[in-house]
Amino acid sequence: MSVQAVILAAGEGTRIRPLTQNRPKALIPVANRPILEHLVESLLACGIRDIIVVVGYRKEQVMRHLIHLPVEVRVVEQKYQLGTGHALICARDLITDDLLILPGDNYVDPSSLKEVLKIQNSMLITTHRHPSNFGVVHVEDGRVVGIIEKPVHANRMTVSCGVYYLEHTLLAGMTENMLSDAVNVLISQETSIKAVYAHEWQDAIYPWDLISMNERLLRNISPSYAGSISTSAVIEGHVSIGKGSVISPYCMIKGPVVIGEDCVIGPHVVINPGTSIASRVVIEPFTVIGNSLVMDDCTIASHSKIASAVLGEACTIGEHTVITAGTGFIEIGEEAVRSSCGVIMGNGVFSSPLVIYENTLIGNDCQINARNGLRLRSKVIPDRTRVM
Amino acid sequence: MCGIVGYIGFRPAAPVLFEGLKQLEYRGYDSYGIATHSNEIFIHKKKGKVSEFSPDETTLPGTCGIGHTRWATHGIPSDLNAHPHTDCNEQIAVVHNGIIENYAHLKRELRAKGHTFRSETDTEVIPHLLEDLNEGDLLKAIQKMVNYLEGSYAVLAISNDCNRLIAVKNRSPLVLGIGDGEFFAASDITPLLEYTNRVLYLEDGDIAEISVDGYEIYQGSTQVSRRVHEIQWAPETVQKGGFPHFMLKEIYEQPEVINRAIHSLTPDSIPRFLYDAKSMTVVACGSSYHAGLIFRYLAESACGIPVRVEFGSEFKYNSVPLTDVIIGISQSGETADTLSAIHKGNCSNVQTVAITNVLNSSITRYADNTILMQAGPEISVAATKSFTAQLGVLLQMISLLSGQVSDEFLSHAGVSIDKVFLLNLDDAVSLCAKAEHIFFVGRGPFYPVMMEGALKMKEISYIHAESYAAGEIKHGPFSLLSPETPVIATCLPGPAYAVMLGNLKEMKARGTPIIAIGSEEDTELSELADVLIPLEEKHIFLEIVAVTVILQLLAYHTAALLGREIDKPRNLAKSVTVE
Repeated sequence: MSVQAVILAAGEGTRIRPLTQNRPKALIPVANRPILEHLVESLLACGIRDIIVVVGYRKEQVMRHLIHLPVEVRVVEQKYQLGTGHALICARDLITDDLLILPGDNYVDPSSLKEVLKIQNSMLITTHRHPSNFGVVHVEDGRVVGIIEKPVHANRMTVSCGVYYLEHTLLAGMTENMLSDAVNVLISQETSIKAVYAHEWQDAIYPWDLISMNERLLRNISPSYAGSISTSAVIEGHVSIGKGSVISPYCMIKGPVVIGEDCVIGPHVVINPGTSIASRVVIEPFTVIGNSLVMDDCTIASHSKIASAVLGEACTIGEHTVITAGTGFIEIGEEAVRSSCGVIMGNGVFSSPLVIYENTLIGNDCQINARNGLRLRSKVIPDRTRVM
Repeated sequence: MCGIVGYIGFRPAAPVLFEGLKQLEYRGYDSYGIATHSNEIFIHKKKGKVSEFSPDETTLPGTCGIGHTRWATHGIPSDLNAHPHTDCNEQIAVVHNGIIENYAHLKRELRAKGHTFRSETDTEVIPHLLEDLNEGDLLKAIQKMVNYLEGSYAVLAISNDCNRLIAVKNRSPLVLGIGDGEFFAASDITPLLEYTNRVLYLEDGDIAEISVDGYEIYQGSTQVSRRVHEIQWAPETVQKGGFPHFMLKEIYEQPEVINRAIHSLTPDSIPRFLYDAKSMTVVACGSSYHAGLIFRYLAESACGIPVRVEFGSEFKYNSVPLTDVIIGISQSGETADTLSAIHKGNCSNVQTVAITNVLNSSITRYADNTILMQAGPEISVAATKSFTAQLGVLLQMISLLSGQVSDEFLSHAGVSIDKVFLLNLDDAVSLCAKAEHIFFVGRGPFYPVMMEGALKMKEISYIHAESYAAGEIKHGPFSLLSPETPVIATCLPGPAYAVMLGNLKEMKARGTPIIAIGSEEDTELSELADVLIPLEEKHIFLEIVAVTVILQLLAYHTAALLGREIDKPRNLAKSVTVE
C-alpha cells in the first residue's frame, strides 16, 4: 500500500505578516530554503514520493519554487482559503490511497513521520508552552478524544501538529471547512484516532518564531565552501557558502551559518551562529551579525550590530544600526502578544544610519529616515510608512 | 539539463526510445541519439531537435536500447558530441544526464592509458572508464566505477556481450518503469506512462541491473529493494509545474533568470574590443530586435557612441561599409537572418559578438565572441524570459562599458520583477480583452519596450496591437483613435513625463480609454487614466525591466481570458531558421 502526502500551502499566514507580502507562509525561507522544501525533504527521507500540494494565496510563487524540488509534485488550487479541511476537499479527486496530511508551513523531522506512518488513523501531537495558538488535543489512553481549535483558555498543553495519517475512505464524507472539526466528527462517529508524540516539530506562529526555527534548521546543513574566501578569514563550525560569494579578509564566521550566492561580506565582519544570509546580500565592513535571518538582496552598512533580526528581501540598513533582542508586548491583529526579537522587517525597508531597534515590527516598503538617530522599542510600524 | 530513456523488452526499441525522447524534449533539444543492442551495438545520433526526427531513423534493430536528448554543457552541439558515447571498441554505449565534475582529471588518466576520445563531452569518460574496469561483467565494472566519479549523474549503459540495461543514479533524476515483460528507464515519468503506470524511483547511489526477466537494485554491492509506485495522473501537469501554460511558468522564472543573465557578464568576461568600439551595430529579429533598440537608447547616452539597430532580414540590403562592432542577438542562435548578418560582418573583417541562450549554437560558431544569457530552455513560442535575459545582459554591458551606471541598481532587477507579480491587472486585462485594436505608446527607451508589449499582445491574444512613439501618433494614427481603441502608455516621471502627459490628454479628448503605467502618487495621471498600473522604481533600468514584465502579464492574461492557445500561437514557430 502506498502513501500519498497532501501538503497544505494555500493559507497566507496573517499572523506572520509582514513577511507574507509576496508569498504564503510555507514559502518563507528558513536556513535559505522555503519551509516547504525542508518538509518535502523529510517526506523523501520516509520514501514518500507521491506528493500533492494545495496552493492558493500567491500560488504562482509557490509553483515557481516547486519546479526546483527534487521530486515531481502535483498542484491543486484552493480558490478561496476557507480552511484546512476545505483545502483537503479540493485535493480529493487526486487522492486514491491512504494519505498523510501536513501543513506546509511546519517542519517535522523524518523520524516523527515514520512513527505516525506506522499507525493507521493517527495524528501527531506535541506539547507547547502557548497551547492556545494551536488546536488543543484531549488524549486518553493514546486515543484522541477531541480537538479544540485555538481555545481562549487551554486546560492542557498537548497540541496538534496538524499532521494526520488517515485512510482515504474517511475522506469520502468530509464536508467541514476545518480539518480539526472534521476529525472531531470522525471521532464522534466512533473512528479511533491515535495520538503519536512528535520527536521534533517546528512551527512559526509569529514572525519572531522564525529565528529559533532558523537556528534549528541550520543544524541540518552540511559544510560547503564555494565562492572566494580570503585566506585570512576565520571560519569555524558548519558553514555553507554559495557560489560567487566573496568573504573578505579578517572575517570571522562561526557556524552554523549559511550564506547564499553572490554575496559580498566586507572585511572585519563577524557572523555569529544561527545566521542565514540569502543571495546577493552585501554586508559592509566592521558589522557584527548573529542569530538572524537575512533574505535576498539586502544591504547592511558598516559598523552595525545585529542580533535576533529577520530582514525581508531588499532591505537597506544604514551605518551604525543596532538591533538588539528585547521582549515586550506588541499588537498583532487586535491582540496584544508577547514578543521577543530584535526586529522583524518586511520587504524593501530602508533604514537610515544610527537607528536602534528592539522588539519591533516594521512593515513592507517602510522608510525609517531619522536624521539624528532614533530608538524604536516594542513598536509596530505598518506597511509603507515614512518615519521621519 | 538533458533527458535520457532506456528500454528493454519485446518491442523494437528504436521507436519506443524516439517517442520517449520527444516527451523529454523540454529538458533539452540541441541534439539527440539512440543506441540499440542486437548481437552488436548500433548507434544513431545527430544534431537537431528530436521532435523533428524522421520515421526512417527508427530502423535500428534490437529490443534493448538507450536514448538521449541533449542540452549542451560541455562541448558544442554536434553529431560527434551527441550521446550515446562509446568506448574505444564500441563495445559499451552510455547516455548520461548531469555533470561529471572531475572529468578533466579522469580524461587525462585514461588518455595516458591509451584510450582515444572522440568528443569534447564530460560523458565520454564513462564508457572509457568502464572499458578500463571491465573484466567481463558490466555490472561489476559499474559498481567499481561509481567510486571514481564525482558530480551528478544519471547514467544508462548497454554492452555488447549481454542483453541487459544498467542504470546508475546520483543527484540527477532517474525512474524505472515496470511493464509486463518489458522495462523502461527515464529522467522523468512522462515517457513511461504510455506503457505502464508502475514506476520505481531510484535513490542516490543506486545501481540497477535490468534484463527482460526482471531487475535488481544495488547500493554499492549490497542488494536493496525499492518500492514500486502506481501513478494515476497526466504527465503534462508535471512539466508545467502546475502552471496552466509554459508562458506563465517562464514569466514567473524571470527573477532568477535576470539575476543569472546579469552575472553572466563580468568585468573579466566582457570582450575587450567593446571598450574601444567607435560605434556598434546590433542585428536581431523579433523580440531580440526590441532588446537591441532599448540598448541603443541607453547605450548612446551612457557610452556616448552611436549604435545602429537593424533587422536581420534587412541588414543584407544595407550597402554601407562595415567598420564597427556587430552584436547579433538570437535566443535560439539559429535565426537564419541574424546568422547571415554575422557572416556578413565576418566577411567585412569586423569584430562580432553573439548574445544567445543556446550554448554553441550556429551563431556562436560564426561570431568572434559569445555571451551566453543562461535563461534555460524556453518552450513557449512567445519569448518572455529570454527577452528579459537579453535585457539583463545588455543592461549589464552598458553598466560595464560606461563605468558610470552603478550595477548596484541592476542587482535589484529580480526584486523589481517580484514586485510586478504583486500588481493587480484585472481592470487592464478586461479592457484589453474587449478591444479589437490596441495602441501601445511610449517615449525614449520606453518606445521599444512598448513595441515588445504590442508584439506579445498580437502574438498570443490575436488582438491587433500597434506601437508608436508617442510623438508620432499625431502624424497619422490619430485618425484611428476612438472610444473602442484602448491606448496603453508608459508615463513615468522623467524627462519625457510632461510631454507624454500632454499627448495622453489629447488622446483622452477623443474618448480613448487609457491604461497608464505611472507613479502611484501621480494624481493628475490617475485622474486622466481609466486604469493606472502603479510602478515605483529608483532607476530607469529597473523601470524598463518592470514595464516589460507588466506588458507580458497583460498579454498573457488577455489571451487566457480570450481562451487562446498561448504556448503555440497559430502560424508561428519558436525559431525561424529560414530567411
